[in-house]
Parts: sequence; structure tokens; C-alpha cells
Amino acid sequence: MLVLYGQLPSRIFADLLTRGRSTVAQLAQHTSLNQRQVRHGIAVLIQLNLIFHFTDQDSGITYYDANPHAAYNLVRTGKILDMVREKYGSDAYTLVNEVLIQGHTKISDLIAAFKKVRIAEPHTVNGVSQNGHHHSNGNGVSNGTSDIKVRDEDVDTEDQAYDSLSQLIAAGILEPLTLAMYQSPQDLRSTIEQDFLANHYPTGIRGAKQTAEFDKYVREKLREFHLENTKLKNDLEFELENGAGSKRRKLTNGDTANTLTNDRVKSILLENRDTVLRVNYDKCVVELRNLKLERYVEDLIGDTTAKVYATLLDVLSRKISRCQVDRLIEVEDENDDASTGPRVTAQEIFEHLNPSIDVSVGLGMLHEDGAIDIRHAEKIRRFPPQLKGSTLKETLQEGEEIVESDDEDYDPSGEAAANFGLYGQNGSDEIKMQADDSVPIGTKRLHQMRQHLLILAESKEGFLRHCGSRDFGEWTVDFEPLMQHLKFLELDTLIENRFGRRGLRLTRILREKGKIDDKTLPSLALMKKPDVHVKMAEMEMAGFLDVQEVPRDNNRAAARTIFFWFFDLERTLQRTLDNTYKSMVRCLQRLDVERRKKASVLSVAERKDVQGMEEEKLRGDIYNEYVQFLDLEKKLLGQIGKLDDIVAVFRDF
Amino acid sequence: MDEQTSILKNQLYAACEDACRDNPERFFSQEDLMALDVVPPKDVKKLLQIIQILTRERLFAPVHFHSGLAWRLRPEAEAAKYKHLTSEDQVLVYEIIDAAGAEGAWQQDIKKRLNLQDNALRKALKELETKRFIQQFTTVENMSKKMWIKFGMQPSARATGGPWYTDQYLDEAFIDTLQAVVVRIIKDRGSYRSTGERGARSVSPVLPKKGIIRGGQSEAAMKSKKRAADAISKDDVSRPTAPAFKARGTVRLPLPAGYTGYPTAEEITAEIVSMHIAKGQPLKTEHVQELLDILIWENRIEEVKTGDRVGYRAVRVSKQHPDMVKLDSEDFWEPRINGLTTVPCGKCPVFELCEEGGPVWAGGCEYFDKWLL
Ligand code: SF4
Repeated sequence: MLVLYGQLPSRIFADLLTRGRSTVAQLAQHTSLNQRQVRHGIAVLIQLNLIFHFTDQDSGITYYDANPHAAYNLVRTGKILDMVREKYGSDAYTLVNEVLIQGHTKISDLIAAFKKVRIAEPHTVNGVSQNGHHHSNGNGVSNGTSDIKVRDEDVDTEDQAYDSLSQLIAAGILEPLTLAMYQSPQDLRSTIEQDFLANHYPTGIRGAKQTAEFDKYVREKLREFHLENTKLKNDLEFELENGAGSKRRKLTNGDTANTLTNDRVKSILLENRDTVLRVNYDKCVVELRNLKLERYVEDLIGDTTAKVYATLLDVLSRKISRCQVDRLIEVEDENDDASTGPRVTAQEIFEHLNPSIDVSVGLGMLHEDGAIDIRHAEKIRRFPPQLKGSTLKETLQEGEEIVESDDEDYDPSGEAAANFGLYGQNGSDEIKMQADDSVPIGTKRLHQMRQHLLILAESKEGFLRHCGSRDFGEWTVDFEPLMQHLKFLELDTLIENRFGRRGLRLTRILREKGKIDDKTLPSLALMKKPDVHVKMAEMEMAGFLDVQEVPRDNNRAAARTIFFWFFDLERTLQRTLDNTYKSMVRCLQRLDVERRKKASVLSVAERKDVQGMEEEKLRGDIYNEYVQFLDLEKKLLGQIGKLDDIVAVFRDF
Repeated sequence: MDEQTSILKNQLYAACEDACRDNPERFFSQEDLMALDVVPPKDVKKLLQIIQILTRERLFAPVHFHSGLAWRLRPEAEAAKYKHLTSEDQVLVYEIIDAAGAEGAWQQDIKKRLNLQDNALRKALKELETKRFIQQFTTVENMSKKMWIKFGMQPSARATGGPWYTDQYLDEAFIDTLQAVVVRIIKDRGSYRSTGERGARSVSPVLPKKGIIRGGQSEAAMKSKKRAADAISKDDVSRPTAPAFKARGTVRLPLPAGYTGYPTAEEITAEIVSMHIAKGQPLKTEHVQELLDILIWENRIEEVKTGDRVGYRAVRVSKQHPDMVKLDSEDFWEPRINGLTTVPCGKCPVFELCEEGGPVWAGGCEYFDKWLL
């Protein structure tokens, strides 16, 4: 991917990756480039945020270090852009795209660049969807109108830019760049530590009390660095949330009335016109996780429920800035975690529910009356499930039973609804009787939406936890155990695809029961012994299983040896992730090869005078070849995107 | 044997017969026999004498019990058989096979316990077999073992493998069929079958209400349904979008949270039994439980606990075929896929060898060639 930015930076980056932190002189030596070239390459890499740098205060020497995560993020560029367009509109797409190309950019430059793009192509950017995912999130702000109307008036274009930009910053998709971000987290930490020691304890710290004080200081300081760049975000968020115009503007689809809010927002941005922005990948990954989770629900439960879930996640994740807790900053669970974690109420979700979602469908109707245990359905779980070892199955319930005061803890909203005849769902083709006419449509809709939340809360995977009863129920998502479940699900999918239903059966038995000898396994699996052996051997060869031989006597005869099979979950998960990386690399290699094969065609197609008008300018056969290549590229990039989904589930979400 | 002893002996045997009417396999310890109040209390000597006689007459079979020696009753007809045994070896061998009951005895074990020569053992077994006192059988646990059982006795379920075995062979076809039946029952009772078009499009948000007859096709009902649908579309800014339903139209939908009717293992067993599919061996809950476990391991169903009730429901029910299908069939459901199942490398046999400059690599690999076609 890096090659996109030129040979030079990619060589330097590769060297940093393999050798660790280096100085300019060292880099020059290893890459056999001269120092001037190295400096140039480094400048590009810093611009793109791909490397950290750190200057030792005593010696004045600057060290550079690769940021491999940032490099990997380049793979996600397409997905992020798709997500931004879907959710924040095509103006936002243009802005984020510009920031991605530049690595980072000043607000004033960004606005200027936006105008240039708009003037150059009055039609909305018709970006090639880079990875074949076409995600429809019904809840996105769609700027349909502004897409069609060509506004060449400068002011209008500028206002659009400020408008989108403020939304992106408020949402956290773009964030101001601070100096601390150029340092690797370890360097930042050690700088703070050394500062503190030098100022307070020049002779070193002793004892538990001083250590605790030290830890606290470092954590606070790190947190400060994080908060430092949220001021702009908070200001904008405040204006957008409280501004009278914001809601109306959303509804009328981009017919931007120059409201008070818009002016205020614009003036905030103008004040900060020298602020440098970059893409906040942490936040983007949160949004990508939402999309992925929506797809899981669509697959496992149904699409109406998935849409409701997407709405919930959207509201919930306004309070979430990154997927995984930053262990450097957050204190290890100080039991307040459970009650203070982000949560949303059914009321809030309902307010954001897209009117085009028909929540009355998607769940089945009951076969008989009284078949619902409302208290069970509305059960409130105040504490997250315990994450224990590899089998979540039992622990999920056990963990709760300890803390739960059983039946009494339930949300009464459901019972109230039942009195109106609003409980249960339909979605069938049968004719049903009208519920109480006095119940307003909105209330009905709210309760129908709640049905989808309840089924999510009841799911084995734990998509949702019903954690309180305020405003028709409070809800939260315990991402960690949920993602654990989904990792297993992907692993199972893989095993079933490769080794069939019976292969899945056997590995699941081993995962549940631990080590099993080759006599017990067939009877548990209800399979013939030779069949079991063939399957097991096949899976062992592929690295999914391990076998241990325990001889029953000293001469180790095969007949007198017990074979124990087992399934090393941690190792298999790690292997799966590694294989995913490898498969991605192979797709990229293949793409590279294909590109070289078509080099001549592509070089013509990429000429400035041809670009954008390939069909007219290219000769028939060349054009066909070009289109063929585009298909192939799309297929490979799409595949890389799907592999990245696995990486995300296993590593990032 | 004096007359008194003889009477006591018969009384004791009769008392034992009474005592084990409910459980013919019951053991009697010395204390148990004393407690039957036949032999005068405290007269242990008499009791032991009687036990000795009964044992000699084969009416009592000694059993080595963890708490000491005990006796099992042998019916008179059975005891009479011993009279036809013509050699000491025959008696010893028959005793072991007799004691083994429905589990049967392994020839190798008999030999070890009696410390007999192979020839002698084989001779005794042959003689007993010709007398139709014993017969050979095979156990599914180890088909190559030579097993003996009393003539006419049904081998235990452990030996026959229970309902899953037909003539000592694991009947996989039968297991698969039953699994499909179990899944169908679970689907039927734990999901809603929605038949296509009308259900797929916006149905009125009207809910069934207690006390009103459901499904009334009357005009009034139709009208009220229509009105509700109008009402909501007026309320909405845009038209409801139709969810993309499968081409086949009919789908299964999950049921609302808190549903208590997901079938339990007992209920599923009862339903299968009433369908009379299971031949031969009776199907018990524990057998159905085995099938349920397997279906859980295969991610086809999941457990739902409501209080003490453990029910089962189908996983990914909307992706499953709405009707009964074999689990192995193509359209059982839309199989789950992910990046590794669609990339050629995910199933590649030479994955580990593959690298640039190696014997195979992505640039020239035939799996990719095929995939990109
Ligand atoms: S690139 Fe080809 S040879 Fe290499 S792992 Fe993938 S499928 Fe196998």
C-alpha cells in the first residue's frame, strides 16, 4: 500500500519496521540512500502520521520509529470513506478524503481544497467504492438535495464545507493534531515520568505511597494530553446539539438555511483556522464496529432488528471515542465501571430512529396467549457478564446470578405496554385485531421498537444488556465479551467451511470438554470411530487440533498408547489472525502482479487527458482490457476488505 | 438336614422372593437376611448353615459386595439348570456368565478368572453352547471381543449401543433423520413462519389482543387494518422500506423475548415418540439430549433458560430453510461466510509453503487464477 506514496518512503518505512527505532544516519546507512533523501522520505512519512519521532533532550538526537498500526490503517481507507459518505454525506466524504491524501492539514487549507474540488467537478464526487461493501445505514444524514443542485456560488460551497467539517470534528472523525501525537505512546510516557522524577523526586521514589502518587500523576498527565485536543470538538458539539437550527436542518435534507448555529459554528472554525486536523482512526474504527455489528445482527436475528440496533449503536457511540480501553490511561476497573459506562435509553433511541424503519415487522407472532414471561424478558442486568477463559457459555449466566436479586429486578415498561395490548410482535400475514385505539401511534411504535431491543438483550451473543428502567429502559453493550463471542463465531464459520458440520462438531466438543481420548470422542459425537480419526487427522494437519500421546507402559507400543485430542483456542485464534494477514498480503501481491501485466493499458488510462473519459478516448480493445482490470481489482480489494473485517473483529473492535 | 432346617430354608427363600419382588436384582447381606425374621434372632450359626445349603443348591448366588459378601436370589428354574452341568469346568464357566447378566462376559476375562487352559475353556464353552445354556454376542464397544451371555438373554443397551445401533453398526442415516426431525420440531415451536409478500411489506402495527378472537377475516378487521396502515404512513416522513426478503418468500422469524414455549428435551422426546419414527429400541430423553448436544455443537440450535425451564431454539432462524430439510442438504440454510472462506488461500493446501520466490506464490498461483476468472 505504501508504494502508493513512492518508493523512497516505503523503503525507509520497511527498514524502520524491521530494525526498530533509528536515527537519520542509521537509516541512510541501512537503506543506502543519502541523508538528504532520507530526510525527504521521513518528512513524507511524518506528514502521513506513519512514524513517530522523539528527540532526546540531552543529546539532541532525534529517533524515528514506525507506527505499524497507522500503516495498517491505510487498508481501511476505503471502508472509512464509504462509512463517512453514508453517514455524514458527500461533502464530508470530500473533506475526509482530502485529509487522508494529505495526512494532515490546516483547517484553512482544507476549506480551500474543498472549494477547489467542488469547482473542478461540479458534480458530486463519484468516488469509486473501494471495497465493494455497500452499506445502507438508514439513519445517515443524507444530503440528497445538495448533491444534485450545482451551487457554484463561492459562499455556499464554503458554508457547506464548514457545516460538514463541524459535524466531522464534533463526531470525532477528524481531530486536531497535537505534538504529543508524534511521539510513540511509550516515549510520551517516559518523558512525563522523567519530568516528574526530576521535579519532585530527584533521588528516586521509594515505598508504595510514592509509587501510587507517581502512577497517578503520570495517568493524569496522559489524560491531559488527550483532553487537550478535545476542546474544539466539545465546543462544536455543544453548538450543534443545542443550536435550534441543527435538527431542522437535518430533516430538510441540506437545504441550508443560514441559521444562527451555522454562523456560530463557522466562527468557531474560523477562529481555529490554523488548527491542523487529521483523521482519528480510533473513532473511525468505532463507527466501523457499529456497521459490522449491525451486519452480525442482520445475519443472526433479522434486518429490522439490525436497523434498530444500528440506531442504538449510533446513539451509544457518541459517548465512545475508541473501541478498546486505553490501558495506559484508564485505571483497571475500579468497580464504578459498571454503573458509569455509556448507556442509552429507549427514549433516546426512539428519537433517533429513522421514520422509514418499519419496526412492526421482523419478529414473529405468538402461537398462543400467555406464552411470554414479561418479567424474564424485561430482566435487568446491572452488571456486565464475567469474562472467564474460553467458554463464555455458562459463565454468562453464572456471573449474573451472584449479583442479581432475581425477579424483582425487571423493567416495568413492558407490563405497562401489555396492558394496552402492545406486547408481543407481529410481522405476519395474518390479520390482527386493532390495539386500543386510544394508544397513540408513537407509543405503539416505541413499544414495537422495544421488542427488538429485548430480543437483542436475550441473544446468546449478548448484543445488548438491559441495564436500567429509566425512560423505557436503559441499554448498554458489553463490547468485550460480545467481541469474544463473535471471534468464536468467525472461527466456527471457518472450521465448518473447511471441515464440514462434523468437523465443527468435533472441535466444539473438544473446546467444551478439554482433552479427550480417542475412544470417548466417537461416542460423544455419535460418529464412527474411523470417521472420527480421519476428520481429526485432517484437522490436525491443518493446524486446528493437537494430539498428545500418553503411553500406558514403558515400551511405547502404539496399541498401548492413549491418544488425547485437544483444541488450543488461544493458539488457533492467533493462527487464524496470522493467516488472515498472510492472505491479505497475497491478495496484494496478486494485485501487484496483475497491475504489472496490464501496465501498458493502465499507463494510457492514467494519462491526464484520458482520465475520466476512458470510454471515449481509449481504443475499443484497450478499453475492454481496462474494464476487465477494474473488475479484477475490485474483486481483490473487496476480498482484502473482507479479510480486514476478520482482523478488525480479532484485533481492533 | 433336619426337618426344621429344611422348613426354615424354604421359608427364608420364600421371604427373600417376597422381598425382592420389586427389584429382582436386589442383594441380601447377612444382616438383611437376619432382618427377614425367619431364622430365630441371634442364631447366626443357623442362618449361616441355611445360607450354605441354599448356595449349594444354587438358589443363592454369592456376590462380592463392597461391604462384604452378599447373595442374590436365583429363580428355581435357573437353579435347576445347574443340575444338568456335567463337569466342574462347565459349572465354573456358567457361574461367571450367569453372574454377568445382560452385560455378558468376555472370554478372556473368564479365562483369567478361572485360570483355565485354553483347551479346557473352549471345551466347556462348546458344551454349554450345545446345551443351549449360553450364546455368543458382539458388543459395539469392541466388536472383536468374544462375548458370552446366557442363552436367550437380551444384551444390555451398553452392549448394543442403544437406539443408535442397528446390528452393532452405528446407524448414521437414522441419527441424521432424527436430527432433522428434532430441528424441525424446534423450528416449528420456537419461531414464526411468515409466508412472504404480505408479511414482508408493511403489515399494520396492530397487535393481537387478549380476549379477542384472532384472525377474524371479517371486513371490519380488514378495514381497521388498512386504516392503521394509512395512519402510520401519514405519520412517517417517508414511505416504509420493504425489507429485502428471500426469493423463496417464506421465512422464519424469531419470537419475542421472554417466550416460554421453546421446547424442552422432554417435550421433543414425547413428540418424536408420538410420531413413531424410532424403530426397535425405545427412545428416551437422554438419547434426544445427545442429539440436542450435537446440534448445539454444530451451532444449529441454542439453549434458552427461563427460570428452571431449559428450552431450545434455532440459531439464525431467518437464514434457515423454513421447512424441514436434512442438515446436510444444500439449502438447510445460507451458510455463514467470512473473508477466509472466500479467499482461495483460506483453503489452500500449500498455504505454509507459499511465498514470493518459493515453490508457489500468489503471483502465479492456480487457485487465484481460477478464483479471478
Ligand atoms: S496465494 Fe495461492 S498458493 Fe499461496 S496460499 Fe493463496 S491460494 Fe495458496
